[in-house]
Amino acid sequence: MTRIRTENLGEALAFVLHRPHPAIQALIRQLSVIGLEVREVWPELPAEAISADFIFYDADSGHDAQFPWAAGASPMPMIALIGSEAPGRLAWALTMGAHGQLLKPATDKGVYAALLVARANFDRARASEAQIADLEDRLSARQTVVQAVMIFVLRGKSEAEAYEILRQTAMAWRVTIETAARQLVANHNAERAPDERRRTDIS
Amino acid sequence: MKRVIDIGLLQSQSGHYAALSRVVSAGVLQGVAEVNASPAFDLAFNVHARDPECRAERYAPLCRQILRETPARHIFGCVTSSSRKDVIPELERHDGILWYPLPYEGFEASERVAYMHSCPNQHLLPLLDWAIPTLGPRGYLIGSNYIWGWEIAQIARERITGAGGLVMGDRYLATGDTEADHIIAEIEALRPDFILNSLIGDSSYSFMRQLAGLRAQSGAALPVLSCNFTEVEIDSCGGAAEGLVSAGPWFEPTDDQGDRRRGSLAEMARLAVHELAQLLHGRPGAGDLSLAELTQLALAAGQPLRLDPTHFHARQPVVIAQIQGGRFHEVLRHPPRTADPYLTGRERGLTLRPPLRVVS
Repeated sequence: MTRIRTENLGEALAFVLHRPHPAIQALIRQLSVIGLEVREVWPELPAEAISADFIFYDADSGHDAQFPWAAGASPMPMIALIGSEAPGRLAWALTMGAHGQLLKPATDKGVYAALLVARANFDRARASEAQIADLEDRLSARQTVVQAVMIFVLRGKSEAEAYEILRQTAMAWRVTIETAARQLVANHNAERAPDERRRTDIS
Repeated sequence: MKRVIDIGLLQSQSGHYAALSRVVSAGVLQGVAEVNASPAFDLAFNVHARDPECRAERYAPLCRQILRETPARHIFGCVTSSSRKDVIPELERHDGILWYPLPYEGFEASERVAYMHSCPNQHLLPLLDWAIPTLGPRGYLIGSNYIWGWEIAQIARERITGAGGLVMGDRYLATGDTEADHIIAEIEALRPDFILNSLIGDSSYSFMRQLAGLRAQSGAALPVLSCNFTEVEIDSCGGAAEGLVSAGPWFEPTDDQGDRRRGSLAEMARLAVHELAQLLHGRPGAGDLSLAELTQLALAAGQPLRLDPTHFHARQPVVIAQIQGGRFHEVLRHPPRTADPYLTGRERGLTLRPPLRVVS
């Protein structure tokens, strides 16, 4: 189905964690107008909030225990509802992981922009985290490859020969070089483990 | 004895899109005359007019002037989306309400604006859904260089590519600019299946004349679509608008004997005056209520409303019509549909799914 400019907002689910108050009425109205399903909750987010597409939360009287996840670890975009621009409250709102913000009293302006900005910030943060995890993975894989090469070097091969053996092993096993290296290192350590005196520390 | 309700009229009498604002003024004044003469209403409107002269910087100050210096709260005003956005802060500050009778690009829902014409699920999307299978999948987009032109092009691009079509060009002219040689040359080279014209005022009329010249010289069909071209602009193009296909909630009936050339802007302006009269009729003191309160009262009383009480956009039929012999003739008509200003698909089947996919 082709969606036009909806940014998948149609029938998205938003939880608004705020005590009932006139300051957020315009927000509730505007979210409905935009096409979201809105649930107002207080004093804490229920467990099913984990399925929400957006969380709006009160920065003025909120605290960590209201959320069913650790600070900064929300599985969806979070938008802080800020009344008091005091540094302490702002620090808390940021620690919780604000991807966007709206000032109170909320009006019919800025809600659509806040949704799109928060979604974009959340997606960007998530992509960065995935990239970092991937790089860390590859970094540790590279260390394993060096360890595997060292096994053959200690057995008298040149470094070039060691790389060639590793490459041929990977081909024979039909796995990546990183996977072959991991297996070779594991085998090597298993052989050495029973006799600690003969163990060659290659790490 | 009718009670008197003061209203504001913020429409330009001169300037590069005055052809549009004058016809909106005429529609408002006709609606006012009808309401004032009708025994069906217990009220009469008294109009306070201000002339922004099609100058963007004059709208907000004149809106403020109406709200502060006259008893009027309801203002029938604005043509361009930028002027509408400019006056909203004044409406908020001075408790005013704007009645806006033109098609616009959506993505707005102020609590202080009654959107009385149509938004893209009521004009652009049904127009493209008709055009792509009928004319072909290769479109060329041209518009005035401001929010209406940009957003219409953006939505059109998504719809056209979503239907498997191709956007061959995407060009803008400054409002009032009539120099389009480079665009005509590009269209001549590209030969698109259709051109979506979102130019306003003189730019549009000049472009249509130059395009008619290209058609005569090259023999290419080059059909033009528009969501903002109405009856009042046909004569300004001197015959060059022949064949143009437009979408809107209303076109001048072809059996209409008189040649009034009012078009949907005047008609929606006239109906907006009637809508306000119906909301205020029989409710002394309702002049101070918000749009939300007025629509809720009407809803509770079982009154038929054009405005949706959620987002204050009018429910409208969709008519697609083509200019033949200097008049619009209906090509296709969809029943009235609710506005979907954020295109989040309340009428999913109607608004979001293109009727067929072009595979060529």
